[in-house]
Amino acid sequence: MPDSWSNEIGAVFRKEIQSELRSKSGLITSGLFGIVSVVAIAFATWTVKLTPTVAAGLFWITLLFSSMISLPRAFTVEEELGTGDLLRLMARPHSVFWGKVLFNLILVAVTAVVLGTLFLVLAQIHVANVGVLIVSLLGSCFALGGGVTLSGALVAQAANRNALSAAIALPLLVPLTAIGVSALRVAFGDPGVAAGIQAAIGLVCYGVVSVAIGPYLFAAVWKT
Amino acid sequence: MGVLEVSGLGKRYGDRWLFRNLSFDLGRGDALIVLGRNGAGKSTLLKAIAGLLVPSEGKVTANVPDTRTGLALSALEMSLYPSLTLREHLRLAADLRGCPSREEELLAKVGLTHAANLAASKISTGMKARLKLALAIQPDPSILILDEPGAGMDEAGKDLVQSICAEQKERGVLVLATNDQREKLLGTLELELVN
Repeated sequence: MPDSWSNEIGAVFRKEIQSELRSKSGLITSGLFGIVSVVAIAFATWTVKLTPTVAAGLFWITLLFSSMISLPRAFTVEEELGTGDLLRLMARPHSVFWGKVLFNLILVAVTAVVLGTLFLVLAQIHVANVGVLIVSLLGSCFALGGGVTLSGALVAQAANRNALSAAIALPLLVPLTAIGVSALRVAFGDPGVAAGIQAAIGLVCYGVVSVAIGPYLFAAVWKT
Repeated sequence: MGVLEVSGLGKRYGDRWLFRNLSFDLGRGDALIVLGRNGAGKSTLLKAIAGLLVPSEGKVTANVPDTRTGLALSALEMSLYPSLTLREHLRLAADLRGCPSREEELLAKVGLTHAANLAASKISTGMKARLKLALAIQPDPSILILDEPGAGMDEAGKDLVQSICAEQKERGVLVLATNDQREKLLGTLELELVN
């Protein structure tokens, strides 16, 4: 990758990190939602042993909605703050997309680690296959980070972006949810390690496709 | 071939045309002042020239190698990142554009050295306008576009804007600016939008 591209992507990434560390808005918003959700699940299921499929579904929903709250804001916040024009004048759309995707991947990974740990402990979930869990979580983070970021990028400049974001995200995330739950339930004890690993690889492929086509779609809507 | 060629430019919102059939060629060292009442389309015209808006008809050709460094805009409605300091804004702009940041020189030029490490959310409107001016001249652009350059500034700030514009024009930079009142900007050409 030419130096100029890596410098530009790095500049956007650093800007995102600096802004987040100073405001902590993304971490607090998604973290608060996630922690409250995990605690609520733990209270509700304290005397009940969760099946692997139910546990996978509950965890996936928590991670999904925590991500949906904060990840799309990487793009919409530029329009809300009024800094979109500043960025459009100075940066190329591919650099902006890649810088923000990298930041969102880190954000969702931190969220997954924190929520995953809390979930396993508080909901007393037994991990039958640690390797599949790790691969599933990595794949889930990559797929969520790429897919949700892409939907946020596409609607950032729309007038009613909040409603539109949900409408665009739904068809992107339904297949993702099915694959994610399939991978995680194997980690929590369902039989079929090979199927679980295949599902985890499917998540990674989903993420790759999202971040590969994302810059081109974003470039098409970059200027009004 | 001029630095900026505008051909048949028009922009409408719904059924209302803000401007239409605008055509002009401008070269090095020219200065065009765009006049008009509020809502006449001055800012829209400058944004269309800067490439931030897709025009409804017509074409804008900026004969510069790279619009990120060859063309610069400072606009009243353009916001800064609230948590980034003034120095960080200049570094970010330099990294994105691939040009030297010249932080100390630019901050001194616009009189903001004392506030270099303050976050943008902590500075006044006039100081923000000065920083936007510094960001605009940072890459040594061939085309400098200033939308309401003196808005929010005190008299010293407005004098600063005029001196920077004169200096840029002297260096052969094409300057385009808007004004609501006929202030003492250095315009050599005027375009009044009436609709």
